[in-house]
Amino acid sequence: MNLTDFKVRLFEKAQTKGFTDVELYYEKKKQFTSLLDQGEVDQFSVSEVMGLSFRGLYDGKMGYAYSEKLDDFSIDFLLDNAKENALILENENQEKIFAGNSNYPDANFYTEELNQFSYEELVEFLKIVESFVYKEDTRVVGTGFLGIQSSEIEKALFNSKGISLMERRNLLATGVSLIVKEGDLTKSGAYEKILYDLSETTAIDIAKKGVNEAISYLNPRSIENRKYKVLLRNDAATAILSSFSPVFSAENVQNGRSLLKDKVGEMIAGDNITLIDDPLHPDGNMSRNFDAEGVATKTVTVVEKGRLNTLFHNQKTAQKEDVETTGHAYKESYKDALTVATSNFYLKPGDQSYDELIKSIDEGVIITELSGLHSGVNEISGDFSIAAKGYYVKDGKVEGATNQLTVAGNFYDLLNDVKQIGSDLELAKRFGSASPSLLINQLSITSE
Amino acid sequence: MLSQSLVQDVLNEALTTGGDFAEVFVEDRLTNNLSLQGGLVENSLSGRDFGVGIRLFKGFQSTYTYTTDFTKEGMLKAAKRVAQTVHGDQLLKITDFGQQQVKVLHPIQQMPQSVDKVRKVNVLKKVHESASQYSDLITQVSIRLKDEEQNVLIANSEGAFIEDQRVRNILTVQSIASEKSRMESGYINTGALAGLEHLESIDVNFYGSEASRIAATMLDADPCPSGTFPVVIDNKFGGVIFHEACGHSLEASAVAKNKSVFSNKLGEKVASDLVTYIDDGTLQNEWGSINIDDEGEAARRNVLIENGILKGYLVDKLNARIMNTDITGSSRRESYRFAPTSRMTNTFIAPGESTREDIISNTEYGIFAKYMGGGQVNPATGDYNFGAEEAYIIKNGKIDRPVRGATLIGNGAETLKKVDMVGNNLGHGAGMCGASSGAVPVNVGQPTLRVSELTVGGTKGDA
Repeated sequence: MNLTDFKVRLFEKAQTKGFTDVELYYEKKKQFTSLLDQGEVDQFSVSEVMGLSFRGLYDGKMGYAYSEKLDDFSIDFLLDNAKENALILENENQEKIFAGNSNYPDANFYTEELNQFSYEELVEFLKIVESFVYKEDTRVVGTGFLGIQSSEIEKALFNSKGISLMERRNLLATGVSLIVKEGDLTKSGAYEKILYDLSETTAIDIAKKGVNEAISYLNPRSIENRKYKVLLRNDAATAILSSFSPVFSAENVQNGRSLLKDKVGEMIAGDNITLIDDPLHPDGNMSRNFDAEGVATKTVTVVEKGRLNTLFHNQKTAQKEDVETTGHAYKESYKDALTVATSNFYLKPGDQSYDELIKSIDEGVIITELSGLHSGVNEISGDFSIAAKGYYVKDGKVEGATNQLTVAGNFYDLLNDVKQIGSDLELAKRFGSASPSLLINQLSITSE
Repeated sequence: MLSQSLVQDVLNEALTTGGDFAEVFVEDRLTNNLSLQGGLVENSLSGRDFGVGIRLFKGFQSTYTYTTDFTKEGMLKAAKRVAQTVHGDQLLKITDFGQQQVKVLHPIQQMPQSVDKVRKVNVLKKVHESASQYSDLITQVSIRLKDEEQNVLIANSEGAFIEDQRVRNILTVQSIASEKSRMESGYINTGALAGLEHLESIDVNFYGSEASRIAATMLDADPCPSGTFPVVIDNKFGGVIFHEACGHSLEASAVAKNKSVFSNKLGEKVASDLVTYIDDGTLQNEWGSINIDDEGEAARRNVLIENGILKGYLVDKLNARIMNTDITGSSRRESYRFAPTSRMTNTFIAPGESTREDIISNTEYGIFAKYMGGGQVNPATGDYNFGAEEAYIIKNGKIDRPVRGATLIGNGAETLKKVDMVGNNLGHGAGMCGASSGAVPVNVGQPTLRVSELTVGGTKGDA
C-alpha cells in the first residue's frame, strides 16, 4: 500500500470509528554510515526506513499511535490504540489539530550537490583523512573513531483540517577522534565537521584540526582545586547551552520542571546575553519551515539583553497562558508525543576572537570539551558538575593541558556571570544549539 | 514472521558476491508508553516497529543494512546492497535450516498487550499517591511505564532459523522537591524481562516514597566538597561504576582492536583480590536477561574477573573471528536498526563478606554514594565520570550530612585495584546502556563496597 492510499483509508476509517479531527505525520529517512579503522572499513551501514504517526481527537481528547508498516493490520492497530489512549487521558489542556497558517516560509534545507557522492567516494574520503592523520604527527597511534554519515530526511504532515505540508533536508558530516601517545601517556582529541565537499584540502584540514586537538592534551598538569576565571570554548559553551535549553520550554515550566516560572518580563541574565531561536537559518542543523503541528516557524528572541521575553510554546502550552504559539511544537520522531523544543538556538556572538579572549585572562582555565553531560547536568536545579578537558592559562598565554577536570557551577548563575562573549559562533554543528566562547568570571574546577 | 524459503532467498542473494556469513534479523515490536504527570494521565503512546536487518561478513569485514520495506522485492534489494560491498566468487549457498527452538529461561505470564490500559493506570496512580504524600516539599511527580513485546526472527548462513519473544516492562518514578528558588529531583525505577505480573507485584509504596525521599533529602543537601576521598558505593545501581569502568572495556568490540586496557591481559591480575565480576544473562526474569542473544545464541553466565584475575571477555561472532576465540552469547542490539555487537546483560560484582555497617564504620572521612546517576567512559583511556544522585559525607565512621552535585571521576583499571572492602548484600538495578549497537536493557549490580580513593568533583571547592 502506498502512503496516499494508506492516508485515504486511514482517515475514512477514523471517521467511521468516531474520530473527529485527525492528522498523519510521516517521515522517511535514508542514511549511510561508515567507520574506518587502520585502512579497513569497520562499519558500513545503509538504511531506508519510514514510519508514521496518527493523531486523532476522540471524545475531545487526542489519541496517538505509530507504525512502521503500511498494511491493513496497521490501520486497525493505529485507530484502536489511539482510541484507547485517548480515553485514558486526563490532562486538562488538550491538543488541537491545527487549521494552518495563510503563509509559510519556504527556506531550502536540501543541498542537491550532496547527492553526487557515492558510498565508495565517502569511504575513500575517510581513507584520505586517515592517511593525513598519520602524516601530521608521529605521536598519533590510532583513531578512536573515524566516521562519515550522510542522511536525507523527508517529512510530511496531513490533517483533516486541510494541512498538507512537506519538506526535506540532507546532511553530510564527518568526525574523527585521535589517540596520541607520548611516553606512557595516552590522550585523545576529537573534531567534527559538516561537509559540503570531499576535497583533499578539506580532508587535510580535518586531519590537522583533529591531530592538533589531541596533541594539545599531552603533557597535562595538575592544578589546584579552586574557583577560576573560566573560558568556555565555543564547543563547551554550546554543550552547556544545549543541555539547559529545555528550561526555556513552556511545557517544562508549566510542569514545574524549570525555574523560569513567572519570570517572563524579568531579567534572568546579564545585559550582555541575548538568546535567539532561528528555525530558518540556512546553516542550522534543526531548521524547519513548519513545526510538528504544522505551524509556520519564525525567529524568536527569547532573552534580549538579559530579559526573558517569552518561553517556547506549542499550541497547547500557549493556550494555557493565553498567548500565541511560537511555532516550537516538536516531535523527536513519529514515535514520540508532541512536545516543545528549540530549533537552532544560539547565544548572540560578541566581537572578540577566541585568541583575544585568552589574552585578557591573567590566570584561568579554558574548558574545551565536556563529557558525561547526561549524568552531570541537573536540568531542574540548574546545577552542573561535568568532566572536562582543558588548558591552564597564565598571563594571557595557554601554558598547556590540565589533567582531567570537573567544572561545576549553576546555569542560572552562569548567565549572570559572563564577562566577555566571543565572536566565534558556529551554528552548523551537531547540536541544535550553538554558543560562541564565553569568558566566565568564576567557576569551580577540580583537577584529578 | 517470515517463511523459511523467503529468508533463504534473501540470505542467498546477500551471499552471491563471496560473503562468508550472512544473517537476517526480523523484528516486529509492539510498545506502549504511559506517563502520569501530577497524578493524571498525560501521555499514552502505542506503536508498532517493524523492520528487517541484513548483515554480511567477509573475513573481518562486516556490512549492515536495514529497511522497513518487508516485501520480497524490498528485502532482495537490501540484500543486493550488502552484497555490493563484497567482491569475489560465491562461497556459500543455503539449502535448508536446522530446526531450532528457543529454550525459554524466563517465563512470561501476562502479555502487556492483552491488559486493559486502565489496569496499568491504576497501579501508576497508587505509586503517585505514595510519592506525592511523602512530604509537602514534593511539588511534582512524573511516573512512566513502558511495556513492550519484541518478536524476533534470527536466521543465518550457519543454518540457524530461530524465533524469540522478549517481553519487558519498566516503571520509572521521578519526584521533584522545591523550596524557595531551589529544586532537586529523585529518581528510581524497576524493570523486568517479564509480563505485567512484574508491575502488579511491586511494592508501590516503596517506589513512590523512595523517589520523593531522595528529592527531599537532596533539597536539604550541602554542596559537595571536591578532592580525593575514600568512596563507599551502595549496592544495586551503585554497580554502574563497574559497568562503566570495566564492563565496557571487557566487551570484545573494545578488546579486539587492542583498544581496551584489558586487551591481551587474560590470566593477569587486573583488580583487587576482592573483585569477582560476572555477566549473567540467565538470571530469571531480570531486566537485562535474555533467552538468546541477537545472533540467536543461548544466554549464559560468563565470569569475567575472578578474585582479581582476568578470566574472559564478552564476545560476538565478528569479534570472535578477529580474536580467534569463542562467542559468549553476548551479542545484542537495540532493534533491527543496529548491527549487533558484544554487550553486557546483567553484570555484577559478586558478594564479599563485609556488612554495609562494617564498611561505613571503618571509614573515617569519605563519601557515601547511596544512589548513582548515569555516567560514561572513554574506552581508549578508561577515564570515566558519573554523578551521584544521592550522596552523604561519612565522618568518623558515621553517615553525616547529605551532599549534592557529587561527580565521581577516575580510571577504570585503577579503580578496580582500589576496591578494599566488599559487602555481602548483592543487589541489581535496571538501566538502559547506550553504545554502538544502540540502547539495550541491562542490569548493573554489586554489594555495598569501598574504593580506597577516588576523585570527587563538587561545587564547594576543597574540603
